[in-house]
Amino acid sequence: MPERAKMRKPDVKVVILGDMNVGKTSLLHRYTEKKFKDTVSTVGGAFFLKQWGPYNISIWDTAGREQFHGLGSMYCRGASAVILTYDVTNWQSLTELEDRFLSLTDTANADCIYAIVGNKADLTESSAQGPVPEDGQGEQESVGTELRPTGGGSSSGGGGGGGDALHQKQVNQDDALALYARVLRYKGLDGMACPPGESLCFETSAKTGYNVDVLFETIFDMVLPSILKKRREGEPSTVDLEDCRVPKSIKGGCCA
Amino acid sequence: MEQDNPGSANSEDVRTNEASPVTCPADTDPLPVTCPADTDPPPVTCPADTDPLPSGPQSSSGCEEQGDVPLLENHIQSEETQSRPEDELEAGCPDVSTVTDCSTQREDEILEQDSAPDDVSGETGQSAPDVVSGETGQPANPDGEGHTHPDGEGHTHLLPERNSDSASAEDGRDDSEEFVAAMLARSKLEEQGLGTKGSSPPLAETGGPPPPGAHRDEDVTGDAWRAHRKHVFVLSEAGKPIYSRYGSEEALSSTMGVMMALVSFVQSGDNNIRSVYSDQHTVVFMTQGPLVLVSVSSSGQSEQQLRVELRYVHNQIVSMLTEASIARIFQTKKNYDLRRLLAGSEKILDGLLDLLDSDPSFLLSAVHCVPLASSLRDSLSQILQKAITPNLVFSILIARQQLITIVQEKTVIEDARLEPSDLHLLFNLIGASSAFQAGEIWTPICLPCFNPDCYFYAYISYLDPPECTVCLLLLSTDKEAFYAVAECKRKIEEAMMAQNALAAIAKAHSYSVSQVGVSDLRHFMYKPFDVPDNHRQLTQFTSPEMESPYSSEEERTRLLDLYRDLHSRIHSSSRPLKLIYHVAERETLLAWVTSKFELYTCFSPLVTKASAINAITKLLRWIKKEEERLFIRYPPKYSTTPNPSRSSRKAAEQHDSTDNGFLSLL
Repeated sequence: MPERAKMRKPDVKVVILGDMNVGKTSLLHRYTEKKFKDTVSTVGGAFFLKQWGPYNISIWDTAGREQFHGLGSMYCRGASAVILTYDVTNWQSLTELEDRFLSLTDTANADCIYAIVGNKADLTESSAQGPVPEDGQGEQESVGTELRPTGGGSSSGGGGGGGDALHQKQVNQDDALALYARVLRYKGLDGMACPPGESLCFETSAKTGYNVDVLFETIFDMVLPSILKKRREGEPSTVDLEDCRVPKSIKGGCCA
Repeated sequence: MEQDNPGSANSEDVRTNEASPVTCPADTDPLPVTCPADTDPPPVTCPADTDPLPSGPQSSSGCEEQGDVPLLENHIQSEETQSRPEDELEAGCPDVSTVTDCSTQREDEILEQDSAPDDVSGETGQSAPDVVSGETGQPANPDGEGHTHPDGEGHTHLLPERNSDSASAEDGRDDSEEFVAAMLARSKLEEQGLGTKGSSPPLAETGGPPPPGAHRDEDVTGDAWRAHRKHVFVLSEAGKPIYSRYGSEEALSSTMGVMMALVSFVQSGDNNIRSVYSDQHTVVFMTQGPLVLVSVSSSGQSEQQLRVELRYVHNQIVSMLTEASIARIFQTKKNYDLRRLLAGSEKILDGLLDLLDSDPSFLLSAVHCVPLASSLRDSLSQILQKAITPNLVFSILIARQQLITIVQEKTVIEDARLEPSDLHLLFNLIGASSAFQAGEIWTPICLPCFNPDCYFYAYISYLDPPECTVCLLLLSTDKEAFYAVAECKRKIEEAMMAQNALAAIAKAHSYSVSQVGVSDLRHFMYKPFDVPDNHRQLTQFTSPEMESPYSSEEERTRLLDLYRDLHSRIHSSSRPLKLIYHVAERETLLAWVTSKFELYTCFSPLVTKASAINAITKLLRWIKKEEERLFIRYPPKYSTTPNPSRSSRKAAEQHDSTDNGFLSLL
């Protein structure tokens, strides 16, 4: 379309996926606004254009709700990076990544990079102490997963009282690394050619800002080669939905 | 509502004494000059006693008079569903699956009233209008909501001793209706704490609602939970909880089980439970496909109004999932937990219910427009008309939950228009999803009145971050059109920048009632009706800022309650009225419906009837003078075909010169 020439052209597309209430919107908000605030559940997906140095990076903050599942593949089309987000206090949220969200990334670029991010790390940071009793977990599951609006976990412990403010960490870094390996296998990518899991598995806290900037900067650094390549190739591939499949097949052979 | 408040009980007497609801055949008497009882006040009558019809629970005055009857008198309204399928439509509650929506139905109803002006107590001056004569059975509303069953079928008065008997359920089994009544009374006593709540005024209860977000954690056995003014529950036919306004659904699963038991018990007798009345509460049931919606309200609203609200709740759920997919889900799995799909949407439903309580546009089924110089509105519309892309069907500009302008695709929807109720859902969605306002949102949304089974894709973006008051909403039918639609937004942004339109919009805000220049007038709501030759116009209303003494939340609610009460009397299905002059405790209100408009006014308490009438004449003149600014007269259209023609626009301009019926009475 001719009008598109006027649009500020995004150089690359990053998509944040994950179950609802893991804190996707909060993560992005922490990174862009350097603030943590209560958010409401995202509807559909929200599109942001982030100026990163000389580059325009488009970021899709998607809704985690099953209701909007059908849109997922549209958001992911032509993506250069996918941030798979889970909640470290919720094992189910990690499982969902594999069950529900991984298949959405089929439309992403072949050289897409995948980051596994465990959010709400502030809830478990000093989790070396004794585990929270079983019923505490149950409460976290039901309150946090099903009823809470998306939030970085600021008030997730509200029902539990102040005593056991720390939640049991349900997902460890090792689980995330294992998932990363499975993601690569699913994608048919060569583990040796791809960035090592250690550099793409993060634990973050949108509430405190812990690791959030590191996460986004690392990912942007990693997509830089594909930005540069795209600029060299001239035509953008991420913007145009109709055309994006063509460059994808061109680049099929190479992993950045 | 009013019987709870000693003060307003008095005012009710005053009203009955001095000037009661008057039906005025509006076609013959355009101004309420013939208001009754100036010289000859009718005797204080107890309408319930003199009413020849057994319609106790319906007549609001009747309820008030029954205030001293023990609370255990419950009434069940039920009716044969299969024999009278059209009754529901008559009552202003159209089926969602039909194309029409609430607003058009309501208008039809009013027009019907106008065409039969002599039905209700025609001798305006002499008879106490509260006493409805036996001929209320208007041809237009032969049955209405099922309140006026002449033979009292499905209408049970429960005797107090039976109700207090815990074994009544067993006793009543041979008589199904009494069994149900006993069940209801018992469950209501248990769930609502009727016995303990006594006479606390409902307005006081609204004073301290828990902060938003805390609702889900509420203790559903506590008094505070019971004291909420209005509960709304949504459950599936299998009795699975889907939504509760207060408290967590899990904790309420047994309560919802009881509700479902009631619904299915009455259904098993080929009947449909519609409502239950108690002294304090009105319980309204609505079945919509596989969903059951229940409203438990102590707000004093009429069943009809509560039903409209439930329909909004249902429509909001449909807007997220579509009716077809809800039906499909429950077809394959009867006991599906719909919360799986709705999870995260509670805030949207919460927001809708708050808006229903606080925003009169829902009551009037009309859209509130930002007052704007018509030249500015036109130029904004032209900007929207120019920024188009294939499959774009609606471009809507919104400021602070009010409409600036709406432009629609011409050919695709020749016969359709966006209904106010669909717009309300969109406004609510925007309000409830605005937390992260810098981004551009792309989301599927179904507009139930337009088409309950399909999605539009909505592009939502604020044009003035970080203030986030002016919002652009573009609706496309193409799921993949985000980038094309986003480009339209950039064009609109540029064009608005060039015209400095945002600053102009920022200057436009609601007006003060003082601009009308009538000293006693405190507030009003004016809703013009469509006229036949322009029936596709969006239903709108205008209303000034609520100023002192209605600047506090509490007073605002009180005024809205008064308006709601007038609205329910005017639109009462059994005894519709045209004109009500209501002397309340702290203000005097006048509501008036004609074939051209619906008007609610609020005056200072000491206004005289003559001066109120004078004021309304002035007000109508003022609105007539300002209507270009207050309303969107002709929503412009565009064509997203390659060569957009300006013909529709020209046609609209031609129309502009003709009188569209606004206030042609004067």
